Amino acid sequence: MTTATQQATGEVTYLEAISQALDEEMTRDERVFIMGEDVGAYGGAFRITEGFLDKYGEWRILDTPLAESGFVGAAIGAAMMGMRPVVEMQFADFISCAFDQITEVAAKNHYRWGAAVPMVIRAPFGGGVHGGPFHSECPEGWFFHSPGLKLVAPSTPYDAKGLLKAAIRDPNPVIYFEHKFLYRRIKATLPQDDYIVPIGKADVKRSGNDISVITYGAMVHLALEAAEMLSKEGIDLEVVDLRTLVPLDKEALFSSVHKTSKAIVLHEDNKTGGIGAEIAALLAEECFDSLDGPILRIAAPDTPVPFSTPLEEYFLPKTADIVAAARTLAAY
Amino acid sequence: MDLADVTHEIKRGDLLHMYYYLRLTRTLEDRITALYRQGRIVGGCYTSHGMEAIAVGYASALEHDDVIAPFHRDMGAFLIRGITPGEVLAQYLGKRTGPTKGKDGNVHMGDLKRGIIGFVSHLADNLPVATGAALAFKMRGESRIVVAGTGDGGTSRGDFHEAMNFAAVRKLPVVLFCTNNQYAYSTPLRYQMAIADVVERAKAYGMPGEIVDGNDVAAVYVAAKHAIAKARSGGGPTFLEFKTMRMHGHSEHDPAKYVPRELLEEWKKRDPILAAERLLIELGYGDETYFHEVGERAKKEVEAGLEFAEQSPLPDGPEVLEGVFATELNDCHHANHSRSAA
Amino acid sequence: MATDIIMPQLGESIAEGTVVKWLIPLGGAIEKDQSLLEVETEKVDLEVPSPATGVLNEILVKAGETVAVGTLLARIDNTASPEVVHRVGGVVVRPVEPAAPGEEHHSPAVKQLAKEHGVDLTHVKGTGAGGRVSKKDVLGFVSQNAPAGKASALAMERSMGEEVLPFTQMRKTIAERMVKSRQTSAHVSTFFEADYSSVVAFRAGRHLTYLPFVVRAVTKALRDVPIVNSSWGDQGIVVRKDLHIGIATALEDGLLVPVVRHADRKGLTELGKEIGDLAERARSKKLSPDEVQGGTFTITNHGGFGSLFSTPIIHQPQIAILGVGAIQKRAVIINEAIAIRPMGYLSLTFDHRVIDGATADQFMAKVKEYLEQSHWEQIL
Repeated sequence: MTTATQQATGEVTYLEAISQALDEEMTRDERVFIMGEDVGAYGGAFRITEGFLDKYGEWRILDTPLAESGFVGAAIGAAMMGMRPVVEMQFADFISCAFDQITEVAAKNHYRWGAAVPMVIRAPFGGGVHGGPFHSECPEGWFFHSPGLKLVAPSTPYDAKGLLKAAIRDPNPVIYFEHKFLYRRIKATLPQDDYIVPIGKADVKRSGNDISVITYGAMVHLALEAAEMLSKEGIDLEVVDLRTLVPLDKEALFSSVHKTSKAIVLHEDNKTGGIGAEIAALLAEECFDSLDGPILRIAAPDTPVPFSTPLEEYFLPKTADIVAAARTLAAY
Repeated sequence: MDLADVTHEIKRGDLLHMYYYLRLTRTLEDRITALYRQGRIVGGCYTSHGMEAIAVGYASALEHDDVIAPFHRDMGAFLIRGITPGEVLAQYLGKRTGPTKGKDGNVHMGDLKRGIIGFVSHLADNLPVATGAALAFKMRGESRIVVAGTGDGGTSRGDFHEAMNFAAVRKLPVVLFCTNNQYAYSTPLRYQMAIADVVERAKAYGMPGEIVDGNDVAAVYVAAKHAIAKARSGGGPTFLEFKTMRMHGHSEHDPAKYVPRELLEEWKKRDPILAAERLLIELGYGDETYFHEVGERAKKEVEAGLEFAEQSPLPDGPEVLEGVFATELNDCHHANHSRSAA
Repeated sequence: MATDIIMPQLGESIAEGTVVKWLIPLGGAIEKDQSLLEVETEKVDLEVPSPATGVLNEILVKAGETVAVGTLLARIDNTASPEVVHRVGGVVVRPVEPAAPGEEHHSPAVKQLAKEHGVDLTHVKGTGAGGRVSKKDVLGFVSQNAPAGKASALAMERSMGEEVLPFTQMRKTIAERMVKSRQTSAHVSTFFEADYSSVVAFRAGRHLTYLPFVVRAVTKALRDVPIVNSSWGDQGIVVRKDLHIGIATALEDGLLVPVVRHADRKGLTELGKEIGDLAERARSKKLSPDEVQGGTFTITNHGGFGSLFSTPIIHQPQIAILGVGAIQKRAVIINEAIAIRPMGYLSLTFDHRVIDGATADQFMAKVKEYLEQSHWEQIL
């Protein structure tokens, strides 16, 4: 569906890219269907499925009861029976209601008895929107640790569209973390024809020689901003966008750190036990001989996401944090 | 049930088929219990002793391509759908030839080709999944249905309610049941719910419900048959409450001293196999000789299964790493291998 | 809000002080009471603790400069988020203590690079935090001291999947010799094809490889064209009278060329035995030094793994080397008709300083002739 924005500039927003991916996959494969709260008549809380109900009908765009566990469980059953459901969590924060179905049923099914669960759960995550503790969370850490799930987190419209398509076409349960802060704030021109971004492949968004900044989601843009500023001081950052959290593209990570010898892991999720901790440990194990400085982590402090503006600003990692850390690491 | 109704609703061959499976289920689970007591089966050991008529009854009312999402008191349903005693014993013994190749134990078996959705230990998780399977059938306009259930304890969980609600709201082709055996581990019904009959919950979701004598295989079969037909014809879901009694502990290690002896004595008289035999005699379908012969056949089948399981290899350590991710989609359109009447 | 850092008065009579070094880089984060810089006066050398938490955003007096007491040295911006401290790893704000001599700690990357480039780290000046030697310092040192024309940039491009195999003596020797040979002789190659039918027919039922036949053909041809059996001497071309044929033998980790002495005096059987014995002892490292010296011509049987042609490198101080290619049945024209014959290419590399193409071809024509038409039973 070409939006007004696209017609005017040829560019689409991150949100429109997601919408396009859904639309194209629904057309391409009749097994794909969407379910979630308010996705049908309302067009979705963020308007991603606006117009879909009219186009695809109420048996492919299902307005579900307010029961995440129930409808994620139903998605699992439908997926096992040959459909390809795309479940929408209205906010990633509500995914905890379905934690049991996701981690005990979806994640373990194939391992235990060989039944694939080809489904996608879309989870709008991240803060910076004054959403408070239950509309701004980054819950990827909980699922990172659940063998059998794949997790992806695109940072650009190109990656958002390509990764969602790849997720829909994957025979495994994939949780797709879309960053709500990026929805309407970034735009890009996308290829006309069908393309996917493969799951399991990171992307070097900016090549550099001095420090590897490993990150995902909205933080990618802060890292690129910091890189711009630091290039004027002769500090050359390499920004590695993970794109996929599980399975991690270890080769890309190691290759980058072998080159630069210094690493900063950056994410919006709480610091302790966030994905950054695993990446730092991996780098210490596998790249020890290449390291010329300590592995740093920049992340939110270990608190729920606060509501009041000064609190949330304090909470979220900022470009200045990346700049300060990079300067010190470069001088080490 | 009225004898006339029985002959009207159930073919002789089908009833005899059900009787065989009552005996097979009992014999198999007795063997499993024995192996557990001998220390040859490790981990949890849950049987449906005294409750066999429920699984055997509803599973006998299914068509080839229907799907079940059972729980741990449904051994009879696994057997009728085509899981052999050998595979069951291999599963319990953790062998590679069991349906999960050693990845999971006891009744946690699943096989899409035989129309069985493998369940997890978190009771009632299977119910939303079952509604999803039914949703797929409805979306594609297929005439397949799903039967799924849990125990009285399971109906306290949110997933039970979310599934009942969703099934009713979307009028899904699913039959949901509760095997009310009056105890959830040591928790008696009165601490599980404030109502006397679980069936009252159906009304709350706008779904028809029925109480069925869970120890009368004919009654179970007929109730299931009607509910299934209704679902298949687009009439939406039905809730069935099977009244029964848990004759053994929650698992075979549990002496269940919390159950009053009188209750067990009373229900012993209502044993489903004895009830079936009385029925067959009344209908003139069988006699003691026949029952004995069936017993021998069941025993032979179970022993052959045990031999198969014992000869089967255990999985190798490194196999633990296999199968985390799928590389291809399921073939789920043809459940077959349902065994025809003996 | 900014906090001024001034040169302290470290003693009543002291009027000035020297900034030895800043322990926090410009723009770096600092906590109150954390050591900010090192200062030296006539009397004392010490570290100055920071009066505030914030970011060091202005440095007015550089390391090495001496200023009066009270001079403004730097400014700390307290409004910048001190949260940087907790958010980022602790090491960001902990300054690196300069190490005592002999106790330097080197990072894994530095150690690895030093090893790879054979650098003695005590010679490398450290410009990293606390005076440590950083990766940049090592790479800088290497590129400054690298031999002319050698790109140390290659070493900087370290990618995954690289493994360094230390040189064996044999590998070093072969490398040296091969390069030297190419630099010494004017290498030219010429290729002939031989019909091995008579050899094949004669071999049938006998325990003989092809090599003895080739050796015989070569020794006869060398008698016909003796200049091929020579070397480049100081006074002129030294034509050798004796025919000592080296047989290039592949080993697990390199190659050796044991020599069959007076090969022209030996029949096929004896040649076969000796070649076999030399090869076996070459592989089991049981050859004596004089068994690999004194050759006048070398044969290399490169056809073993299927190679058809080759351009072998001359074994100095010889002036030619013959490569024997794989023998394959091919369709050839004989007497205006197509026949199937076992054919093989012979590749001769010769030193054009000593002989010209015509001579080389003349020699090869003879080798071919002898291979194709000998009465083998007479030289068994």
